[in-house]
This record gives sequence, structure tokens and C-alpha cells, in this order.
Amino acid sequence: MTRRSANHLPVTLLGTAALLTLLAQLPHARVRAATGPVTFNRQIAPILYNHCSGCHHPGGSGPFSLLSYADAKRWGTTIRTVTQTHYMPPWLPEPGFGNFADSRRLSDEDLSLIKMWVEAGMPEGESAETPKPPIFSKDWQLGPPDLILRVESPLQVPASGTDLFRNFILPVPITQTRYIRAMEIKPGAPRVVHHANVLIDRTASLRRQHPNDWKQGIPGMELTVDSGESFDPDSHFLFWKPDSPALIEPSGMPWRLDPGNDLILNMHLKPTGKPETVQATVGLYFSDKPATAHPMLLQLEHDSALDIPAGDAAFVIEDHLKLPIDVDVLGVYPHAHYLGKKMEAYAILPNGAKKWLILIRDWDIDRQSVYRFQSPVFLPKNSVLYMRYTYDNSKANIRNPNSPPIRVKAGNRSVDEMGHLWLQVLPHALPNSNQDPRLLLEQAWMQNNLRKDPDDHTALYNLASVETISGDYTSAETLYRRVLARTPDDVRTLTALGTALDGAGNWQQAQAEYQKALTADPENTDARFDLAHLEFKHGSYAEAEEEYRRLLVETPKDASAHNELGAIFSATNRPTDAQHEFETAIALDPGNFDALYNLAGIEADNSNLPRATELLQQALKQKDDPDAHQLLGNIYAQSGMLADALEQFKAVQLLRPHDTVPHRQLAQIYSQMGQLPDAISEQSAALAIDPGNADDWNNLGVFHARNGDKASARKAFERALTLNPQHTAARANLARL
Amino acid sequence: MRHSFFMVLALACVSTIALVSHAQRVPLAYGYNINGQPVTRLAAPGSEAIVLFFVASDCPISNRYIPELRRLEKSFAAQRVSFWFVYPNVGETPEGVRQHETAYGPEANILLDPHHQLVDLTHVTVTPESAILVPEHADAETLRTVYHGRIDDRYLQIGRERPSATQHDLERAIADVLQHRSVQQPDGPAVGCGIIGQP
Repeated sequence: MTRRSANHLPVTLLGTAALLTLLAQLPHARVRAATGPVTFNRQIAPILYNHCSGCHHPGGSGPFSLLSYADAKRWGTTIRTVTQTHYMPPWLPEPGFGNFADSRRLSDEDLSLIKMWVEAGMPEGESAETPKPPIFSKDWQLGPPDLILRVESPLQVPASGTDLFRNFILPVPITQTRYIRAMEIKPGAPRVVHHANVLIDRTASLRRQHPNDWKQGIPGMELTVDSGESFDPDSHFLFWKPDSPALIEPSGMPWRLDPGNDLILNMHLKPTGKPETVQATVGLYFSDKPATAHPMLLQLEHDSALDIPAGDAAFVIEDHLKLPIDVDVLGVYPHAHYLGKKMEAYAILPNGAKKWLILIRDWDIDRQSVYRFQSPVFLPKNSVLYMRYTYDNSKANIRNPNSPPIRVKAGNRSVDEMGHLWLQVLPHALPNSNQDPRLLLEQAWMQNNLRKDPDDHTALYNLASVETISGDYTSAETLYRRVLARTPDDVRTLTALGTALDGAGNWQQAQAEYQKALTADPENTDARFDLAHLEFKHGSYAEAEEEYRRLLVETPKDASAHNELGAIFSATNRPTDAQHEFETAIALDPGNFDALYNLAGIEADNSNLPRATELLQQALKQKDDPDAHQLLGNIYAQSGMLADALEQFKAVQLLRPHDTVPHRQLAQIYSQMGQLPDAISEQSAALAIDPGNADDWNNLGVFHARNGDKASARKAFERALTLNPQHTAARANLARL
Repeated sequence: MRHSFFMVLALACVSTIALVSHAQRVPLAYGYNINGQPVTRLAAPGSEAIVLFFVASDCPISNRYIPELRRLEKSFAAQRVSFWFVYPNVGETPEGVRQHETAYGPEANILLDPHHQLVDLTHVTVTPESAILVPEHADAETLRTVYHGRIDDRYLQIGRERPSATQHDLERAIADVLQHRSVQQPDGPAVGCGIIGQP
């Protein structure tokens, strides 16, 4: 099955300032009396070192250093001006409307101290009171990364002109899945780079769209990339701004990179007055453990409502989304272009209470950021998220890129507009269900998009994909057909429709849709793979083999196709050929679970138990799979490693709580270990699930007999014979009692 | 009252610069160049106007204006206008200015003004800011300030910046001078980094 989602990556531009009135209200006399004369060494240096030097140091993104008295004096009047207007430090959210981590906003007291210091002639103070300035290293903050990616071709940023928005593609040279616990971006020329976003392109789709020019970087403010075959929603804000330290993910929440993924570094670059060269590097730090918590990015937006008349100083768009489950909101990322003015985001809880998420009174694309909450914001099921953005398309908006103002609609250029609110949410597990709760969020999100635009291609497609995953093939089919009504030759949708039809049991119709897809695009590997898989599943081995062979001519490094071809060879009793294909698949993709499992089966059949064990252990590192646990348990049991076998069967039982097989196997192992009460308990558990199995009753009788409980044994054998009067073992056992 | 009076004069741009002591006929220096030599003449005889760009090597707004200043130089190159990059900040050194040139491109006429003779005479307060001087006589030795202020309206204040300028005040003023019209003054304040004087 294939799926596509739109990852609109924001991008940006220019500067702002808000006039402040706070100082007039401050008790100057009290501050002065309490602290004595304001000097650099006593009060100002700590403020600058804590709030400014992070950017303002040699090699930093700030245009000058603030690491000494001489620096501070040189820039004192400017510092006073830009802090009083709140232009610096850059921080857009209004205090009291969301409690964010790492707030850069200066306190009223700090602002007052700076003003007093400048007005007093910027005295240095006693040298004994000088705090040590912070030390900034050019090295990686977390030590040498596990993997360093570098943009292929440096970009020459001209001395002047409008801002540039460029997407640099970074292929990721890994041969197995990696989990990223931290990332650091070194932009190359920090004074040029306003901000950067990293996107994961699961299918290298942007690189494939630009086979000849991707190394130079692709221009554009926002991007849409293909999210690949499985439900794999974007999960993390990978955002960089000038003072961003290494981005360390919370414990249990690394993000994933698979072989074949690209990272896309979307950068906003601002000319400085002289030509600059930008060549960014990205350092990645691996975790050896996959994620245990799976956040998801949700988006509110209403781009289709963006049609702002020239001169309109207060044009409003809104969106809302009802949450189908409990979530914790971890962070928000508001985004608009140059006309954005006021941004409001909040939630109305089921009890009617209003919970603010963020308020920005004077949006400035130049100073955009991701805002992470100090602690997660819990929103219960049925809370409604609201977004309300106001735009100023008048001449009075100095950031207006159009002079005179013109009618503005949504678009990807800097003269167009956007209105997005991204939220990173951590869904709570669903009670009494193993379903991925993110599916319900995706469903609600896409339904919301369809409410705004019933023909939204991406929303229709993604919603259909959710229905397919959830097993509602009829709904999926309806939605895919709505997509095809507008784009009848869309190969991806034809292929996905085939999958839905196959799921619904209409395999001949599915076959027809795959063939239609291949008629439209004979090179389409997804459609050919799915057709081959369908034919294999329905026993048309020769046809399936032919399709896979054809596919492998086009894409010889397709590990999944090698694995499937191997499976056909297994099914048609050609184990040597099968083994070769599985080995090839594993060589291409060492983390290919299916190939590892399938090869383990062949090795087990060949009595090569150590190799089979090794393969299954490797497979289980990729996926906690009950079949792999069961096969490994069987191998351990066969090898006499009863305690290890027990562990595997227990894992199967946890994964398949309603299955009788693991209980039976546990009973057998306990019996072999002489733990008859445990064996009886497990056998009884199997019979509680399926009381109609005569073999199970017979076995229960045997365990009771061995345990010395003849009465219970007799009852069990008799029950077996009631169920199956011809059960010879039960009859013989009964006779022996 | 005296202070207000001069402010009015300055805004009206009629202050006259006489750098020659008529009594002694000894030329004074406007400042010095990057070789440390005094600059006693800003324009050759016959010049119609002298445009001063007050810049600072460490001011980001000033640096971002350099391409625009170069565009103006090029635009008026054939029209007997002399352009000077004036570095007014105390602490600017010839070596520092040389390094700045290396990064941002060479400039024919560079002047360091650590004693703020030109700053005082033109009443500029920030970098980048501009002034236009016109010769009172054909010998170009007595100069009159006819304009000082912002280059254009790109910056409204620090942090409030247009994507591109909509009004090119300095360019309009130079054209006024060349066409012998009344020189329009800037419609807003110059925005940038304060000029640094002696401690």
C-alpha cells in the first residue's frame, strides 16, 4: 500500500519590533536602591552573557560580539533601543499565553537595568565583580557525531537582494535503520542563515524529482514530499534557529532514519552586504533503542480561505480540529509569510474551559521559531483546537512585499501567504485497544481538511489510507474512487485502490486496478510489486515469479522483491534458490525482517539451528513479532534450552493473548522442566480459550496424572473422549489410570 | 532656543562648510585616508556634488547597505558626482577598513573621520547615513550641505524592515541637485548604529 502526505515546510522573512510601555511602570528607585549603581560588571554582564552572547560571539550568528565591557559599551545605545522595543532577544510569544521552555524574553527588571546603565554613561564597575564570559566552541556540542552529513555543493549567497529559500538534499548513507537521539546543524555561515528546518524524505522523492540539479539545492519556501508506503506520520520538529543548541530529543522519543531516506535542509538565507558561501553540515547522534513513545505532528490551516483584498488591514482566517483522543501537546510552530500579523491558538476543553497554546501579537517571519512547552499540555478527548490568524495587507504593513498592496492568495512564493499552525502531540494509548492512536488523529485531521475542501486530493488519499489500515476497505474504496474521479490516471491511487479491493476480498478487481496502473506507467514499481504479491497470494506462482523478475531487472536492489521471490521459491519447493534470494535481500537490507525470518525458517529446516537462532535474534531486533518468537522458542526447545524457549513462548503469549498455541507450548515446556502445576495452569488457560479441543483435554489429563491427581486426570480424559470418542490416546491413557 | 534654532537650520540643510581659512589660506583636513594621509579635498574642480556615505565596518545595517551605495555610485558615475565612504567611528583603523574593503569590495574614496569634522558639519548620527555637499564656488573648496539623512525607506527602525525600499530619498536628492531643483529632504529618520565618538 502506498500513501502520500503533504509536509508543508515553512519558510520565511523579515523583522519586527513591539514598542513597550513597561518601563514607565517599573519602580526604578527601588531597583536602584536595592542594587546600588548599575555597572557592567555587576548587573549588565550577567544579562548579556545569559541572553545575548549565545548568538553574539565570534563565529556566532550575531553581527557583533557581546563578551566584554568594550563590546557592551560599543553597542550600548543600540542594546538599549532593541531591548526596549523587544526586537532583541528575538521572542514573539506574548507572556501568559502558553508556558514555553527556553523563553528568550528579558524580564522587566533586566530591561530596566539596561536602560539605567546606558543612561548613566555605561559604567564598567569593579573589576573584582566581573563574571567570566561564556566560552563558545566550534566543536560539536555533544562530541563527535555518529554520522556527519554535508551539503554537496556550497551555495553562493549574493551580497544583496531579497531573501533566499533553498532546500538542500542530504542523502543518508546508512545500511540499517537508525534512531536519532540528537542532531546538531552547523549552517556554515551563521550570519546568513535565519532559520532552517529539516524534513525526512522517506522515499527520496525530492531527489528523484530533481535528478540533475538536486546538488545545487532546490529553491522554494515550502515543500511537499512523499511519505512512502506505510503509515508513518511526521513526528518531530527538526527546527534550527541561530542560537539553537544541539537538538536533543526526550528520552524514549528518538526519530527514525531508514536506508534510502534523505534529509532535506530547508534554509532561509539573508544577504549580508557581501557575497557569502553557505555549506551546512548536520551531525547525527544515534540511539541503540527505538522509540517507545510516538508523537505526531498535526496541522491546522486554512490556506484555501486566504484571499486577502489589497489594503485590508485585518483579514482573518480560522480553523478548528476536534481531538478524537487524549493527547499531550509538546510544542507548536506557527507559520505565515509577510502579511501575518496576529496569531492566536488555543483549545476549548470539553468542560468549556479555554486553554491558550500561543498568542503572537506582531508576527515576524524573520524571527519564527518552534515553541516547546515547559511541560506537556494535556488536552482530553473532544477538546477542540482553534487557530485564528489576522493578516495586514495594507500599505501600513512595512513588511508587505507588494508595493502598492495587491490581492494576495495562498502560495509558495514570498509574495504569497500561508496560515499554518503545527502542533507536536503525544497521543495517549487507547483504552482496551492495540490500535495505533495516531491513526485516529490522522483520520480526524484529514476529515477536517475535507470539511474545508471536499476535493482535497491529499486528504482524500490519506484518509483512504487510514481506512485501509483500519480494515474499512469499503470506505477506502469510495475515497480512492473520489480521487480517481478527478485524476483517473493517478498511478499511486490506482495501486492503492487495488490494495483496498484486495483487502475487501475482490482480488480480481484488485488485479485489474494494478494492471490499469501499469498501463498508465509500466515502470511503476509499487504497482508491479503489489500485482506480483497478489498473484503470489492467490497461488499464481508462475505469474508472480515473472512479475518479480521483471521488477528486479528494473530495481535490482529492491530487497523486498528479492524476499518475495524467495518466498515463491520456498512455496514451489526450490529451497536453494529461495535461500539465495533471502541472502541477497539481507545483504541489501540487513534489517529486512521478512527476509531474516524466512531464511531462519530454511536454516531451521536444514537443522542449522545456530544460524537460524542468529537470524531470528536479528529479526527480533527489528520487530517484536510473535511468529519470530515462536519459531525461536521451537528452536530453543529442540536444542534443549528450555528456559530460553519458555521466555520466547511467554513473549508470544503476551503478543497473542487470545491464542491457545503459546499456552499449549508453555505447558509442554513446563512439563519437560518438571513444573507440572505450571503446565496444568497453562494447559487450562488454553482450554479456557478453546474448550472444544480433545487433544488439549487429553494433554491436561496426562499432566494431572503425572502430578498424581488421578481424579482430575480421569475427568480430563473423559472430556476428551466426549468430544471425540475415537481419540485413541485419551482412551489408552484412561485405561492406564 | 539656540539649540532649536540650529536644528531648524540643519533640517533645512543650509549650513555652510568652509574648510579653508580665508584669513590664512591654510587648508584643513577633512580626515585621513587608509594610508594615514590627510584628505584636504573632496572633489575636483567642476564637481556638481559630493555624496558622503557614513559607514561602519561592524554595523550590520551599514554593511547590508553597501550594495545599494555601490548602485548609486554606478548610477551617477558619469555625472560629476564624487562619492566618499566615511568611517566616522572612533576605533576604526586603517587596517580594519582595509579588511572591510577586502570583504565588501574596494572603494576609490575612503575617509576616516575620528574627530567627527564631517559628522558635526553634516549632522549625521548613525551609520549608514548619507549627506550631499555642493561646492559654493567652482574651485570646490567651500562646500554647502544640502541633504543629510537616510538613504531610503527600507528600515523604519531597527527590526522593522521592508523587503525592499519603496522610496529612494538620497537618489532623489542627488537628482534634485543635478537638475538644480530644490532638494527634497528625507521623509523619515535614518536607521542604524549610533556613531561612536570620543569617550
